[in-house]
Amino acid sequence: MNACTVFLSVNFDAEAYDLKSTSEDRLYGRFSYGRYGVRAGLPRLLAMLERRSIQATVFAAASDVRRHPDAIRALRDAGHEIAARGADLTSLPLLKEREHESLLEARDVLAAIAGEAPQGFRAPTGELSPRTLHLLAQLGFTYDSSFQDDDHPYVFSLEGNARIAEIPTVQALDDSLPFSARHTHARVVKIWREEFDALYREGCLVPLTVHLRGDLGFTRAARIAALEELLAYMASRPGVRFMTGAALAAQVLASGGPAEPDPIVAHRETLAVTPYRGDLAVKPI
Amino acid sequence: MRTRLPDNLRCAVTLGVDFDGPSHEVGRGIAPLGIHSWGRYSARRGIPRLIEMLQRQGVPCTFFVPGYDAQCHPETVRAIDAAGFEVAAHGYLHEAWDVEADEESRLLRQTDEILRDLLGKPVRGWRSPSGRKTANTMQVLKSLGYLYDSSDKDYDLPYRLRFGPADDDCIVELPNNTYSLDDFPFYKFSYTPPSEVLAQWQSEFDAIYASDRFVVLVVHPRSGWGSGTPARTAVFEQAIAYMKAHEGVRFFSSAEFAGWCLQHPQHLEEWRVA
Repeated sequence: MNACTVFLSVNFDAEAYDLKSTSEDRLYGRFSYGRYGVRAGLPRLLAMLERRSIQATVFAAASDVRRHPDAIRALRDAGHEIAARGADLTSLPLLKEREHESLLEARDVLAAIAGEAPQGFRAPTGELSPRTLHLLAQLGFTYDSSFQDDDHPYVFSLEGNARIAEIPTVQALDDSLPFSARHTHARVVKIWREEFDALYREGCLVPLTVHLRGDLGFTRAARIAALEELLAYMASRPGVRFMTGAALAAQVLASGGPAEPDPIVAHRETLAVTPYRGDLAVKPI
Repeated sequence: MRTRLPDNLRCAVTLGVDFDGPSHEVGRGIAPLGIHSWGRYSARRGIPRLIEMLQRQGVPCTFFVPGYDAQCHPETVRAIDAAGFEVAAHGYLHEAWDVEADEESRLLRQTDEILRDLLGKPVRGWRSPSGRKTANTMQVLKSLGYLYDSSDKDYDLPYRLRFGPADDDCIVELPNNTYSLDDFPFYKFSYTPPSEVLAQWQSEFDAIYASDRFVVLVVHPRSGWGSGTPARTAVFEQAIAYMKAHEGVRFFSSAEFAGWCLQHPQHLEEWRVA
């Protein structure tokens, strides 16, 4: 029997995402897909997860948490893990010397509203500065979930005996990209099922990333039905279990396996003399 | 005269894996962290998985490695060689931009030296990272003793590419196509399900098997838009098995096939650009 863990993560990304392209007074019309995620999507997601008895990990930016404290508490009360995703959704390398302040805010706003400091972090846009892992460890985070470089959780060993777990994800199991390309949900589920079957065969972590939003997310009625069917299929496979990011981090930190060096160290010298030539990574629209 | 493979070579296939480790991001001045860490997957998971699969299928393959990635992961490059696969060059920092001739010569020589020192044997071929090259590129490759380049997109068959007037100003070209016989267009741009990528490659093969009989199929071991992850390595394996099941299909490393081309000049077209 295969042992296979599914890590279901939810990127909250409500108004914080829309506010990357507009202002507060314009959160209507095409800039209200984030609000859809909270008003229409979240109740549907909560009901589905309860039916399936799945605990998810929800990454939420502080600005979204402040705007929707009741939604955050409802998620917490339903047994889901609440984790941090920055003060807003600004890419961390752009914050320069304000990064520490921003991560502190991400942690403290969640702690105040959810009643417990978050253990996990996922970088907005997925981008980390060379200091981010250190700052997260200093602020008491036990794991990050922003890298896409492995099939299993692992541990970074940082300067000053700090350690932080990494729960890597994969782009192929992030709903926002195929939905940004306007694929049908049937097609997205087809991709996810093929990816899952292969990860299951090899006993790899299955990191699913869904968004609440009405445009790039999985919570519309038809979409969530397709997602529920897929999750039921995964759960039906022998040896499959669902775990939260915090539980995965605790497990890998306690395992005593070898730790990875700080990933920036090997590249620091080259980066110092290499001009920035533009980011060709594909991101959601 | 157009290239025509002899009847006793029913169909020739060369497989390529373009290493594309952290060089891809670092070369653009981007720290290989978070969403930019796809290249870290190559050495950690993608290359070992692809080596295991290729050995299971018993087919040769050429790994095109940027010099910087070889410096970051020397043990991985040695493992590729120890498993019996060809290692060829693929830029230093995966230069996906135009490089002036002097700088280009320096980078080609630097990467050649890194790979040669690491493996203790000469490097035989090169594929341009991103497909940019000039006559200068080929001049330098020839001076380094390279037999072939596999970057041009202008033909379905191997040929001799003449880039200058001297007798020796000629290199074997194994043209590839990064819109269909490659993995990244489907995983980076169109988010195509792996099973449909397999169907696409099978359809490409069927048409080629019935006409030109020469296949250059390329994948990448990275996460993100590569084929190092389980589902995508699986469809690459199924594509290989599909081609193997056809009568007379022979798999070559790129260097072996370039050697075949040099031994059979009468079958090869010579082409001069400008």
